[in-house]
Amino acid sequence: MNQPLPVVVARGLEKNFSLADGKPLEVLRGLDLDIHEAEMVAIVGLSGVGKSTLLHCLGLLDTPSEGTVIYRNGEDTWQTPGLSERQRCDLRNQFIGFVFQFFHLLNDLDVLENVMLPAIVGSTSSEWRRRKDQVESRATSLLKLVGLDGREHQAPGTLSGGERQRVAIARALINDPRLLLCDEPTGNLDSRTSSRIHSLLRDLHEELGTSILVVTHDPDLAARADRQLAMVDGRFEVPPKAPSEVT
Amino acid sequence: MQYRSFLTNRYLRKRWAPWAATLAVALGVFSLISVLAVMEGFKMEMKDRIRGSLAHLIVKGSPTRMLVGEDAVLEAALSRPGVEAATPFIETLAIYKSTELDYCILRGIEPVTESTVSDLGSYLLRDGEIDMLLADPFLSLPDERTSLEAAEVDHIFSLERRRQLLRMGLRGTPADGFAEESPPQALVVGIEALRSMRLAMGEVVQLSTYSPVTYEPRLGRFIVVGAFQSGVYEQDQRWAYADLRALQEVLDLWDEDAQDMRISGISMRLEDYSRSDDLKQQVGAELTRRMDLDSSDPLAIPWRFHEVETWEDQRANLLKAVEIEKRIIAIMMLLIVAFAAAMIFLILMLLVIEKNRDLGVLRALGATRGGVVRLVLQQGLFLCIVGCLLGLLSGWWLTENINEIHDYVYRSTGLRLFPPDIYYLEKIPAHLRWQDMVLVCTPTLIFGFLGSFIPAMWAGRSDPIRALHHE
Repeated sequence: MNQPLPVVVARGLEKNFSLADGKPLEVLRGLDLDIHEAEMVAIVGLSGVGKSTLLHCLGLLDTPSEGTVIYRNGEDTWQTPGLSERQRCDLRNQFIGFVFQFFHLLNDLDVLENVMLPAIVGSTSSEWRRRKDQVESRATSLLKLVGLDGREHQAPGTLSGGERQRVAIARALINDPRLLLCDEPTGNLDSRTSSRIHSLLRDLHEELGTSILVVTHDPDLAARADRQLAMVDGRFEVPPKAPSEVT
Repeated sequence: MQYRSFLTNRYLRKRWAPWAATLAVALGVFSLISVLAVMEGFKMEMKDRIRGSLAHLIVKGSPTRMLVGEDAVLEAALSRPGVEAATPFIETLAIYKSTELDYCILRGIEPVTESTVSDLGSYLLRDGEIDMLLADPFLSLPDERTSLEAAEVDHIFSLERRRQLLRMGLRGTPADGFAEESPPQALVVGIEALRSMRLAMGEVVQLSTYSPVTYEPRLGRFIVVGAFQSGVYEQDQRWAYADLRALQEVLDLWDEDAQDMRISGISMRLEDYSRSDDLKQQVGAELTRRMDLDSSDPLAIPWRFHEVETWEDQRANLLKAVEIEKRIIAIMMLLIVAFAAAMIFLILMLLVIEKNRDLGVLRALGATRGGVVRLVLQQGLFLCIVGCLLGLLSGWWLTENINEIHDYVYRSTGLRLFPPDIYYLEKIPAHLRWQDMVLVCTPTLIFGFLGSFIPAMWAGRSDPIRALHHE
């Protein structure tokens, strides 16, 4: 059976920061990583080992000091460095979905509007007029999928933590991204709610076939992933499987 | 992008604080528009009144040698196409003693021709009107009153009227010394001179002045035969009209060299005042040409220094003062708009700080840095434009209804915000010009843009990762 093609290939990723005394702090030290289509990868590690920094670099929110990241969608590939600001934003909007530890819903919008937000951000006024109904019905069906049907017009502030994270997951999926990046998605939830979110992520992964990279401290969530990578001092403790070359 | 309008709508719909900035902008624009409209209306009204009592164009000689060859000067002026009418005048200063010592600017005119050149005909008052105005110090004449016909103007200065008034004045004091058949010369004074009781209708007054030719003191006895109301307080208090020929005699203006009576100058009415600069040059050139001709030439005018002025030249300082006053008030009041823009700045800054996390989320969801900048800028400009429009509309409404509002306040409280006896205007004049609207809106929008720009740049520079790290 052929190995599925990777949607993201990272090679030699390094990220350095300057400390206040001028000394460099190496957070990522030559990381290599492949995430294949429909694969769920969990990265575990102690606080401060660089998990979130890796996620930010892969999510194009941050720029690595060294190394390349290649994003693949069918025949189309994009490689950073070398992307314009517009391309980075388009990739964040279309290719990547984010789920944050603190949910980060916009309190001025209702649940449905929060879910639709990435589609709104990615549309011009005329596109939005054309797509609005279609996006709205997709948002409604995603809310149903995450178990929040009938809550479309509620304010995020009236939802529980677990419900808010479900809204955030639906929001991350609205543009049908190739890669879902989850940064401690249950780090702010109790164990029972966390378990439900873990199941939801796994179910969505199986149902939608979206590749997922999840950074977590939670062994239960990590255990549900196809692959686990442990990070120590900016490196993977166990090297990932031999990467496929992107052609 | 769609999201900017979408989020602007959501952010502004759920908060009242940004609308306080809009209200501040609206109040600033409203105040500026209203003040500029009243200032402009006041300026126009004042110009109109000053212009009415002055001629479009005058030629005047030097104060001492004056002009001679009255008919030739008039003929030279009227030979220029565009000069509709012309009349000679004399202007001098005189003092008189009535209840107290006072002075007046005495103008010698030919009453009938003067009323074809200036608005004298519409300013001269009928006897009934004088009585009405003296009875009510706040009263002004209605705009729709008809001007005096030439015959009525002529009658005011006539011998018959002087005799009639003298007869009335002599009743009970036959020893005054004037024979009824040879009454003093006619004097028409401003209504304020009568209102202040310095002079009275039918009063015989002795005017003292100096002859500009001989520098000898000259005395003339005049009888107050009429009054005028020009609408310019200073003129209505100080100006007085007498018959030109009589004044020439009083001032001893005979010119031995030219064998003619001197005049101070001539006044002209133009068909089209917008051509005044051109006609000013033409009339000046024609007079110079004729003064340069040989004295044997029938068109020749004896040489005298002369200058041609429009009425705006004559009142340049006053007009400039009003314009400067208007500009200073506009600049001072722009501070209100600047204050409003500062409010926009503060409120947007607070909004950006409060929404820092949301802006980070937007960046993570694909919004560009420029998009976030424009989102904040759009909100600031939206608040500013709405404020500007509200201010313009309310300012326009006030300008249109200022007198109704004033009357309402007066009826309700008895408070006269605009006393007619001080401002000498029955109604508050207000005129809204599009130039003033542009003058108000442009800096308001610039201030609004600057007030929004800094928070917008701040928002654009904020680091999405840092923003997302905070709960």
